[in-house]
Amino acid sequence: MNPWQDCIQRLKAELTAAEFNTWILPLQARQEGDVLRLLAPNKFVQDWARQHYEKRLLELCLHISQGTITQLRFDVGGLDRPETHARIVSEVHSLGLNERRAEANLNPEFCFSSFVEGKSNQLARAASIQISQNPGVAYNPLFIYGGVGLGKTHLMHAVGNMILETNPNARVVYLHSERFVAEMIRALQHNRIDEFKKTYRSLNALLIDDVQFFAGKERSQEEFFHTFNALFESRQQIVLSSDRFPREVVGLEERLKSRFGWGLTVSIDLPDLETSVAILQSKATQLGVILPEDVGFFVGRRIRSNIRELEGALRRLVANAQFTGRAITVEFAKETLRDMLAAQDKRITIDSIQKTVAEYFKVRTADLLSAKRSRSIARPRQIAMTLAKELTKHSLPEIGSAFGGRDHTTVLHATRKIRELRDSDPALDEDFRNLLRSLSS
Amino acid sequence: MSNPALQLHLPIELVSEPTLAEFLPGLNAEAVAAIRGTARGGGEPFIFLFGPPESGKSHLLQAACLAATQAGRQAHYIPLGRPGIEPDILESLERLDLVALDDLERIAGVPTWERAVFDLFNRLRERRRALIAAAAAPPDDLALGLADLRSRLHWGPRYRLLPLTEPDSEALLCASARRRGMPLPPEVTRYILTHHPRNPSALLDLVARIDSLSLREQRPPTIPLVRRIMRREDDAWQVGIRPVSQALR
Repeated sequence: MNPWQDCIQRLKAELTAAEFNTWILPLQARQEGDVLRLLAPNKFVQDWARQHYEKRLLELCLHISQGTITQLRFDVGGLDRPETHARIVSEVHSLGLNERRAEANLNPEFCFSSFVEGKSNQLARAASIQISQNPGVAYNPLFIYGGVGLGKTHLMHAVGNMILETNPNARVVYLHSERFVAEMIRALQHNRIDEFKKTYRSLNALLIDDVQFFAGKERSQEEFFHTFNALFESRQQIVLSSDRFPREVVGLEERLKSRFGWGLTVSIDLPDLETSVAILQSKATQLGVILPEDVGFFVGRRIRSNIRELEGALRRLVANAQFTGRAITVEFAKETLRDMLAAQDKRITIDSIQKTVAEYFKVRTADLLSAKRSRSIARPRQIAMTLAKELTKHSLPEIGSAFGGRDHTTVLHATRKIRELRDSDPALDEDFRNLLRSLSS
Repeated sequence: MSNPALQLHLPIELVSEPTLAEFLPGLNAEAVAAIRGTARGGGEPFIFLFGPPESGKSHLLQAACLAATQAGRQAHYIPLGRPGIEPDILESLERLDLVALDDLERIAGVPTWERAVFDLFNRLRERRRALIAAAAAPPDDLALGLADLRSRLHWGPRYRLLPLTEPDSEALLCASARRRGMPLPPEVTRYILTHHPRNPSALLDLVARIDSLSLREQRPPTIPLVRRIMRREDDAWQVGIRPVSQALR
């Protein structure tokens, strides 16, 4: 055993398990002469460990190493791990595609071939493919918006991956807006803001996720504004995502909002049932499992909130099937996902749908339940009934009963009518999708 | 204190290392198997555990970190919301192989913390590092203000940790005592299960205390000896000295 291992074994006996695992376990040690360098994952752990354990660790090290270690030095870092982003971007030319992807923060699993196309994401996917083939030319910026967990991040990674596949020397960076802010702050603190600016303004493609998190951060918005301009003027590709339409993002400067709308703005909506099933089957294949269609429909029908939840349910099913050796059937899914399905049912109720729809159309909930048949009330009521059928597991008679004691044939008529209108009336379709998004987020 | 032995009875003797082997799975065998896979690498990239206090969440998270370290990987266990711990503790953790976040409910509703956890989640995912998170309740029942974080917590398999059954509690007690080379007579086991809290950490603490006192006094574990320890625990509560398991919570 090396002195450090011996030392922490001794210390382990003196601390609570939680203390040990929080402050000592993440430290890595490297001996340099008579100095033992202790590398912490970040400054907070470094400071805490030094403040609370330095004295005792030094005593133990002196004793255990029999005087060969006489000093401890606490630093931030790790053994054999890639370091900062700036270094990464400056060394791109000597790296292979996989390393390039990793350093651009791109997940190779998120590519166009693993993205399941449906009506809800068709336009966003098509636009993303186009800009990947002609970065900086087709649409700039591409702005993708939609609710949480619907595939915005997947598309952004797919764009980055495709650009790199086509041109392995392209300088591509994907990052979340929070990271942009954090990196900028760090650059300011370490007097490296020029390096930061140079790094981001010399990219060929910048993909920033969830720009709504720039809200209220004026200095970051200022810096991002200039980065945006530099990239836009030099015709480099910018892809942005947000949970809402650019104009609706609260706390963003007008000049940014206006620039976000310069290119193409596309939405991603909640997938329809068939697309949800196709997504489940595609993800099951990635996990090496064949998902029976009836199970796909069962899960897709019951989990309507977002794709992350669909994936979480699928992963639980696969883990349980592998653990128990049982086949994945509808019964098995009901049993395994019991908790998850109960939570889902609790979240979206007929009541919550009625309330949301009433608020959206500025009518009273009581009107939806009343006998009134004017268009301004009947249409929202039909939409609410259709949403109740799509988002809850209630039977048609139950839904009818919850809408002022109506017959199940009224519900059936409502759902058919709304389906027809969604195809023929874009405004109604937009209302329906907005409501779906708001209910499922 | 009248008994000098009590003064020498340092809490450090009571701590048993949380390991996966030591965790009696009971009805949670699938969750334990999933955690083992993630800790060793190659398993699920994200697991969410939930359950009431004392259901073994902290034990499993720490055990996962230990198992990861033993497999040559780097891991970090972080009990969120403890005094003195700030969101900066989550910086740069994507350089590690496994991060275990405990007590998510403690930071729910605190915007700076929620943002920091959300950011960490994204960084770990981008770098394909593993995360195991635990909370008292499932994601939708935590008072999280950030929908983006809530939706991410649904991404992996989610396990509700179920409490030990009566036979499991007995098995845990006996196995822990046996590991210490101190088999418990059946009447002592029955006495403990009737008179002592039956949550896992309380039982493990008690076994450690019995072992310690039994060794020091060179006496076998009998009901009177156990009774003395339990009475002392009560006394310790009175004067504000908490057993280690509670001090950890």
